[in-house]
Amino acid sequence: MDSTIVALLAQDGLTNGSIYCLLALALVLVFAVTRVIFVPQGEFVVYAALTMASFDGARTPGTVWLLLALGGAAWLADTVKLRREPRRMALAWLATAAPCVAAAGLVAWVAASKAPFVVQALTTVLAVTAMGPAVYRLAFQPVASASVLVLLIVAVALHFVLTGLALLFFGAEGVRTPAFTSASFSFGNITVSGQSLLVYAFTAVLIVVMAVFFRYALFGKALRATAANRTGARLVGISPDFAGRLCFTLAAAIGAVSGLLIGPITTVYYDSGFLIGLKGFVGAIVGGLVSYPIAAGGALFVGLVESFSSFWASAYKEVLVFTLIIPVLLWRSLSTTHSDEEE
Amino acid sequence: MAAPLPNPAAVTGPARGLSPVHAVAAVALVAVALAPLLAPAFYVTLLNYIGLYSLATLGLVLLTGVAGQTSFGQAAFVGIGAYTTGVLTTQFALSPWLTLLLALALTLALGYLIGRITLSMGGHYLPVATIAWGLSIYFLMGTIERFGGFTGITGIPAVSLFGFTLDRERHFYYFIWVVVLGALWLCANLLDSRPGRAIRGLKQGSGMVEAFGVHTTNTKTAVFVLAALLACLSGWLYAHLQRFVNPTPFGINQGIEYLFMAVVGGATSVWGAVLGATLITLLKTWLQDLLPKLLGQAGQFEMIVFGILMIVLLQHAREGLLPFLQRWLPRRPRALPPAEVPLARRTMPSPGSAVLRVEGARKTFGGLIAVNEVSFEVAAHEVVGLIGPNGAGKSTCFNLISGALPLTSGGIRFLEQDVSAMSASAIARLGLGRTFQHVKLVAAMSVVENVALGAYLRGRTGFIRSALRLNGQEERAAFAEAMRQLERVGLAAHAHDAAGSLPLGKQRIVEIARALAADPILLLLDEPAAGLRYAEKQQLAALIKALKTDGLTVLLVEHDMEFVMGLVDRLVVLNFGQKLAQGLPEEVQANPAVREAYLGA
Amino acid sequence: MKKVLAVAVSAMLCAAAAQAQIKVGITVSATGPAASLGIPEKNTFDLVPRTIGGQNVTYIVLDDASDTTKAVTNAKKLIAEDKVDVIIGSTTTPTSLAIIDVVAEAETPMLSMAASAKIVDPANPKTKWVFKTPQNDSLMADAIVENMKANGVTTMGYIGFSDAYGESWLHEMRRAAAAAGIKIVADERYNRTDASTMGQVVKLMSLNPQAILVAGSGTPAATPHKELVARGYKGKIYQTHGVANNDWLRVMGKDAEGTLLPAGPMLVWEQLPDSNPVKKVAREYVTAYEAKFGPRSTFGGHAQDAFLLVNAAIPEALKAGKPGTKEFRAALRAALESGREVVGVNGVFKITPQDHNGMDARARQMLTVKDGKWLVVTK
Repeated sequence: MDSTIVALLAQDGLTNGSIYCLLALALVLVFAVTRVIFVPQGEFVVYAALTMASFDGARTPGTVWLLLALGGAAWLADTVKLRREPRRMALAWLATAAPCVAAAGLVAWVAASKAPFVVQALTTVLAVTAMGPAVYRLAFQPVASASVLVLLIVAVALHFVLTGLALLFFGAEGVRTPAFTSASFSFGNITVSGQSLLVYAFTAVLIVVMAVFFRYALFGKALRATAANRTGARLVGISPDFAGRLCFTLAAAIGAVSGLLIGPITTVYYDSGFLIGLKGFVGAIVGGLVSYPIAAGGALFVGLVESFSSFWASAYKEVLVFTLIIPVLLWRSLSTTHSDEEE
Repeated sequence: MAAPLPNPAAVTGPARGLSPVHAVAAVALVAVALAPLLAPAFYVTLLNYIGLYSLATLGLVLLTGVAGQTSFGQAAFVGIGAYTTGVLTTQFALSPWLTLLLALALTLALGYLIGRITLSMGGHYLPVATIAWGLSIYFLMGTIERFGGFTGITGIPAVSLFGFTLDRERHFYYFIWVVVLGALWLCANLLDSRPGRAIRGLKQGSGMVEAFGVHTTNTKTAVFVLAALLACLSGWLYAHLQRFVNPTPFGINQGIEYLFMAVVGGATSVWGAVLGATLITLLKTWLQDLLPKLLGQAGQFEMIVFGILMIVLLQHAREGLLPFLQRWLPRRPRALPPAEVPLARRTMPSPGSAVLRVEGARKTFGGLIAVNEVSFEVAAHEVVGLIGPNGAGKSTCFNLISGALPLTSGGIRFLEQDVSAMSASAIARLGLGRTFQHVKLVAAMSVVENVALGAYLRGRTGFIRSALRLNGQEERAAFAEAMRQLERVGLAAHAHDAAGSLPLGKQRIVEIARALAADPILLLLDEPAAGLRYAEKQQLAALIKALKTDGLTVLLVEHDMEFVMGLVDRLVVLNFGQKLAQGLPEEVQANPAVREAYLGA
Repeated sequence: MKKVLAVAVSAMLCAAAAQAQIKVGITVSATGPAASLGIPEKNTFDLVPRTIGGQNVTYIVLDDASDTTKAVTNAKKLIAEDKVDVIIGSTTTPTSLAIIDVVAEAETPMLSMAASAKIVDPANPKTKWVFKTPQNDSLMADAIVENMKANGVTTMGYIGFSDAYGESWLHEMRRAAAAAGIKIVADERYNRTDASTMGQVVKLMSLNPQAILVAGSGTPAATPHKELVARGYKGKIYQTHGVANNDWLRVMGKDAEGTLLPAGPMLVWEQLPDSNPVKKVAREYVTAYEAKFGPRSTFGGHAQDAFLLVNAAIPEALKAGKPGTKEFRAALRAALESGREVVGVNGVFKITPQDHNGMDARARQMLTVKDGKWLVVTK
């Protein structure tokens, strides 16, 4: 094993780690505000890549039907729930159902017209982002005050639904989407593709933005407070439902951009979301589900271990990755104080 | 996190002496016995799987639902059970009965080791650690060529019982369900016992149960191992039912599925395991039949519809299905037969002798000094009040005395013994009882059960004797003592209510009864009057005075000055973590420094 | 709940009323990891005729989600509830192995659509009831090794799925390569959904083998292949028949050029000589399939072959008994292994009691990819 191989593996680990990192950041965001361990975060990534691939293949993505279904269900739920409060009902429609329907229309139109790459990419981001608030409204808002365990199980059930629909809409085979840039850069004797650099840059920016926003911005702190105390948050003027919808919108947007960024680097399948989500989750946990930079570090660690163990003993790769994470968890667990009262 | 609002009907556990429950159990038993004779052949297949899933889920109900330790790794232990017998019966031609023992022994050892390592992690580190080792074990099973790799092991023999080969599904059915019902009986017994109450208390945080002498790490590990053994048993049965094993059924997906079954069934009761396993198995089968008829196409839709149904179900029954059903079940309070031999009591120290000595106690959290060089004493039969404005360090001081927090420096002597380095449970053993500022009752247990948990250190029976119901005398004594304490505090009428259904003020009093059930020498009361109405406060004051007469020593933290003034013998005042003053109530009240601290400069 | 029960009961009654017809139970992995194989198989049963030998045939298709427990449950359901005469399935080797005990006990013939020869191992008495339609891995491995020898390859590297498919291929390649004097310098594994296989590829290339075999199915088999091309690997890259579909070509793009693989003849029926009996059968199937479901997949072909085998055996079995009886199933089994040649879309079957696959060299074509299309390699 010479220095070139080390460099190659490190770069590969960095790329994979960045992908897990994007997942981890969104998971921390969602958990910090809603206490939901959002298992289906990976599905947002998958939907984005598969939608883009459908555009690329000049097909109408199944995303249209999903958006219409989500929008319709959210419209129905809000109409029933708020039937005595027409003003709030209208607002709820605008916040959840309307974006879904609008995005569905946009996707259908872009698929039908020969839109340029940029339009396709933006449409993909908008479409997947519109799923975020609808998913929150339908699956989590009615159980927002339940225990972390119940929220987790709802998240798993949602993962079944989204994976099942992805298989139905997009089929079982994988896709690769066109790259944003075909440029590549040489550093010594290794070459890094422009697309990988985009992934690194997006990840780095996101880490900084999220950490700063939640640590220093008043609004960020208020959002975080809703997780700790829903009634208290309401008192200071933040509706937990609004906070939930907002953070799911952000998570979906992060997922959508991630999907577009990684689609050209790796093959994405209808069920890719779970395993990358799981590894992102490990990273998020290493960060104690609160710290963005440490979560990012955890995700990068997973990526690097994975890369080096696939070189040394590929058959035992997963065993190595998941065994090596245990001491890290132990160390993190011992070095942080956590209250027992949290589940 | 506040305890979820409990449904009074959801009190679980005590099955002893409930004849309607016996009737339901009898009906269930007959149904189980007759099912293979009446049900279509395919339903026998399903019932077999339901039995296997129930066993593994039962373990998760104990570990996750009751003890509050989320685990995704249950399927890995099922795999260990299945693979041990799969490998040993096919490659070494060992008897399945021998491999059962070996599988259980291996699970015991591995479960203990893994449990020790992972259960020491708190918070969210635990679930992800279970994912990590669960996946490691899964991939190991698939990677080792001797174990048949991902392809699997064929030709696992059937089990023979007294020369009778159980190779027919209908025969194996009885075998499975005898094991399942036995396990349910043992686990239900266990939960309704001394160690069981400790397990059910774990969810309230380790601080609470440790205050009554429970060694939480040992208890958690024991529950973890028990859950692993149930899973292993399920896996062993699976291998001999299926006669084929490969790693697929033991991966993370199945681990999640078991968690699903536990939550959907109702994770706080052993019956929730059976209910969850039944519901999910039958639902999937029905969807497989129904959807092609509705949609005209097979496959692919089942998972989607299943997921949607689960989301809707949890939105309407977040505690699972069991509490839903229990509303329809008749309930009668548990019978409380008199105890033959009452619990032994401690002799109280003679009046005036030193009970507690706090010497220069100091506690820092990072840079923050919470308690700074505080010293004071409490003598036997005294009632001492520890007061101070918000954030003065009173509760931290309490936690230092009770051993819930380690001291940074200084010393604490209890009954002339240095307890500075002792654990909370060791100090409790010496005769210290306490209540909590934020009430920590097990909401789903009845009031009397909660109080009986206080008598934990006055009993001895462990897991095995409890599970086998060999604890009758001790249980009767513990419950007689619990009732005695409830009468003492005036809540005997509420003995059979769910603790969570009482108003907060009454819950505080239940906490006092629970502390008294430990027969303490020194009682620490953390804001006992908070949330009480005027009349209730009067009653509480009378109770504390009566306790003093009975020879107890009381140290209490309180905000309500009026309440404290008429009650205590002496006061200690803290401010910003430091002792500001101490002395008789009137002296303290007159102290200008105290007035300043309270009223502001 | 009541409604569900009512529907279930009425369904059972309907099933009882329509007893006098042939019932074919199918369990495929239409979801889960093997979905890309199971879906074309499932689709194929939409195309097969509803009458055989003048008898009505019902096809009951169940999804086993690539899960062994589910496959066993499905098999038991098909036997106990639907009283099927024959089971076709399942898609993967583990799910097929898992149901052998069930069909043997119920004395119901079964036709697996999975790769491993282990499923029809004649040493196992229970496989008396088990047949399989895909070419044995060993047959395909031999084809690859023959081609390697012809190309003067003496060292090779292996990278495959860490699942039963990859395992079985590694096993067969070790055997075939050893016999041909080819050295396997490294065997690497990866997961179907892995985002990257850089580690394995770097390892393989550092050992500098003359050829590398990628053993995976569908688009996931593209991941290491593309990485090898991107890293500038100069040797020959072989794939297995698991990749023989259009999606793989689409994901591979121009990186597919020059790939070598053995595949069933239906994939390239257009290039077969008219003398090849497979051509006509394959043309009919592929035309019908592509009209309804899009590009062909050889996995769908395995399902079609299972149908063709059953189709050929049923007239004979009908002589022995009525559908739904033990005699009929026994006769069906006997007819399946009668040693008569049946032309399928992926080759010609000559199933005997000793060989429950019955395929020979006619079931494989060495292919390469040229200009984004499959091309038969002519020697």
